[in-house]
Amino acid sequence: MHLKLFVLSASSVVLWLAPLAALDKKLDIHKALQGVSLTAAIACAVSAGNIARELSEQGEIEVIKKRAITADVVDEISTSAYISQQQRQQEAELILTSPGVDVEESLKVLEAIYSNDLQDYTSASEHPDYPIYLEVCKSREAGKSTTWIVENILKMGGRKFSEGKVKLQALLNQFEEEGK
Amino acid sequence: MRAMYLANYFIAGCIASSFLGWIASLHPMAFRAVLCLLAAMAIGWGLSWLLDFSLSKLLNISVADLQALLIGGLAMLLIGLGVFLCT
Repeated sequence: MHLKLFVLSASSVVLWLAPLAALDKKLDIHKALQGVSLTAAIACAVSAGNIARELSEQGEIEVIKKRAITADVVDEISTSAYISQQQRQQEAELILTSPGVDVEESLKVLEAIYSNDLQDYTSASEHPDYPIYLEVCKSREAGKSTTWIVENILKMGGRKFSEGKVKLQALLNQFEEEGK
Repeated sequence: MRAMYLANYFIAGCIASSFLGWIASLHPMAFRAVLCLLAAMAIGWGLSWLLDFSLSKLLNISVADLQALLIGGLAMLLIGLGVFLCT
């Protein structure tokens, strides 16, 4: 496309200037040639202009696309940072407000969490079952029975009850081991 | 690329002016016709300068763009006719 554009631009200038400079205006045949060449030059210049305009519009679209992608990435990063901060805050509030837990111990736990490497911290908290585990902890502290937890939090009542009990045990084992 | 496309249209305008000169050189009647056309264009050009604000609203372009178009048009005409007459 670029090559075509440059060839058309160059040929339009040549077809414009060369016949006017080289041919005699008094001879009929030369005059006719000049007319033909000027017409061809106009056609070349206009088509080159159209191609250049198309390319310039494509370039502008590319620039807009790049800007949109950059904005998306920035937005995604800031959203994930905000969610992570909110999650930490909720966890801290949950630990500090839970009854029957020593405040100093909770503070130590929080300190340990925040001083940990980010990778280690996110691996447990970003687990899809982690919010359920937090809910289970909260219910246990509120004095709810295992049956109640299986039926209301894991939503595995009736025929699925025994399966739910196993899942609850696995959940507790998983996150309590990670907590240690 | 934007400069390239503007330059190409500018060259097309210059060549069109040379073509107008070539038509004028064909016959005395053609010469008069081209003179009439040039006179009409000159009147239109002058009126456009006088009515630039209302014309820019009508064409939905800025006044600066309209003035640039008018100056560009004059430059195209002068260069095209100049090249035709000097060669």
